Amino acid sequence: MQRTRLTAHLYRSIAIIHIALLLLAPVILQRPLHAGEKPSFIVGWSVYVGWNPYYYMAKTGIMKKWADKYGIAIKVQRFDYAPSLEAFVAKNIDACAMTNMEALDMPAAAGIDTTAIIVGDYSNGNDAVLVRNGLTFKNLPGKRLLLVEKTVSQYLFERGMAMNGMESQIKRVHLVNTSDSDISAAFMTDRSQEAVVTWKPLVSQISKQPGVTNIFNSSQIPGEILDLTVVRTDVLNRKDGAGQNFAKALAGAWYETMALMSGTGPGTDKVLAAIAEGSQDSLQSYKEQLNTTHMFYTPKAGMQLVTSPEIKQKMALVKQFCFTHGLLGENTKSPDDVAVRYADGTVQGKPDRVRLRFDPMYMQLADGSKL
Amino acid sequence: MSLLNISARPSRLTCWILSWVLFATGISLYFYTAQRRHKENPDDRVVPTLGQLAAGIYQASMHPDGDEEQQPDNAAQSAIQRFRNGMLWKDTVASSRRFLYGLALLFPAVLLGLHMGIFPYFGVFFLRFILFFDKIIALSVLPILFIAFGIDELSKVMLIVIGVTPTIILDTFNLSKSVPPEQLVKGFTLGASDFDVAYRVVLKQIWPRVLNSIRLNLKPLMLFLFAGEMIASTDGLAYRIALLRRHMGMNIIIPYVLWVALLLFLVDLTMRLLNKKLHPWFREA
Repeated sequence: MQRTRLTAHLYRSIAIIHIALLLLAPVILQRPLHAGEKPSFIVGWSVYVGWNPYYYMAKTGIMKKWADKYGIAIKVQRFDYAPSLEAFVAKNIDACAMTNMEALDMPAAAGIDTTAIIVGDYSNGNDAVLVRNGLTFKNLPGKRLLLVEKTVSQYLFERGMAMNGMESQIKRVHLVNTSDSDISAAFMTDRSQEAVVTWKPLVSQISKQPGVTNIFNSSQIPGEILDLTVVRTDVLNRKDGAGQNFAKALAGAWYETMALMSGTGPGTDKVLAAIAEGSQDSLQSYKEQLNTTHMFYTPKAGMQLVTSPEIKQKMALVKQFCFTHGLLGENTKSPDDVAVRYADGTVQGKPDRVRLRFDPMYMQLADGSKL
Repeated sequence: MSLLNISARPSRLTCWILSWVLFATGISLYFYTAQRRHKENPDDRVVPTLGQLAAGIYQASMHPDGDEEQQPDNAAQSAIQRFRNGMLWKDTVASSRRFLYGLALLFPAVLLGLHMGIFPYFGVFFLRFILFFDKIIALSVLPILFIAFGIDELSKVMLIVIGVTPTIILDTFNLSKSVPPEQLVKGFTLGASDFDVAYRVVLKQIWPRVLNSIRLNLKPLMLFLFAGEMIASTDGLAYRIALLRRHMGMNIIIPYVLWVALLLFLVDLTMRLLNKKLHPWFREA
């Protein structure tokens, strides 16, 4: 008798604890875990030839060395591309590797003031339009085209159509939104599909198939698809100055790695092989991808691009594309509602709605070895 | 009074209030978060406010997909015409068609399961293979599916079929096995043929349970449909959600998700009522 009463009590307390936990969970989970430790930051990256160096920086301790120098902690976290953007917009991470287009249509359009601190490279052939049966842009209307819609793939396709005088026919091509994890299998196994837009390393696999030709690629629109490292502006402007230190440490670690990558001799191959590991690639395949990537190995090269007048024209094209496709939000009345501020202080769009900033300061510091 | 009393009989009002508490909490938490986030960032898209949601619903139901070729006189159309040209309706039609094809193909599966349960030769021929096939995760062999069925409509329906039918076959098999053998003997002594016994004795009485089993598998069916539409498609509810995720169009995604939930609930309810109507003698949850 005593025993059963005891068990009854036990069960009742278990049940009550459960209910209490259920109700308290949101409160407990929201509490910061470490208070008063050194400021810590997270940088997110995803697999791409120009972003894999983050893997190397984390693995070899270069990132830690720079973080220690500035008295902060930096966590490097790998994501899939879309989730990394979502995490950045949700303010779960402080810095992220993304293209100029996504910087505009994800954080900037969602009202998250974003600053690009490093311009790592531009796609110089990594993205391509591939076709079967010798199609050209002239035959594409009425045909199906596999691609990940509303990304740089679609931008590349539309630029290709426009540059081939087919701009008015763009809507007559039937776009099939295809997940990037399945697109190469879908195109390679289903031979009735005639056209696809994708990026490397998928492009390399698909091009190896007999009868597939590359009719347009990003080397024909140089400098339009930029790969950036961006930081939330409110993180940069933290009152304790730790955000500035975070950006400096990122730039320091980045350009130290770039110097290792661009060297000559057998040591470089070792570095590149270690970087390629970040995407389970072989050295050979990674080098092949680097061939179609215009890397800015030195901070000076990145600064030159950011301060050049062309960047404004190119960003205007990308912004117009985002606006036309509703990527800036449905209630955005004009592309000027998401404004971009450039290195020279000029603003493209409404001055009170600056959401994306190109700040060459950190590249400049790296260039003068002042980090 | 004790909350943990098995023989408690809560009053009608208590039942009503208690069953809505979690809804109310969820909704108020949502709008509290939305309001807080918008105070911080007026352009926030992650947690849209009521106004944004309303605008999203209007946009989704009354406006055609922006990338499609424009209808000539969009403004001149009546509300119903505009709704029928809107993306919500078109996506719903596209997804429903695939859903119904998938559902229709479950019925041959029921027959197969029944025959396997009744006719021993059928049983030994299929059972081992289907037990094996049931354990294959269809989504992990997509390239093979692409080779066999292409990447168009057929592959989406086949993904549903491969994902859900083995469960239905095996379930029907077990149900037909569980019919007491005395009843079969009784049927034969009353002069029934083999097929009479299969269809009029066994199928007749397991049918409500089979319908129930199909009903419980609606959600896996929907999951496979969504997976298929997210892999490669040009329309459909999951296609739209996948696209909108690309620029955080949560003001349309949330209404879409609720719409799908409502549709699923309605299909489920219809099947439950139908089952009750068709088989008033059947008493089981």
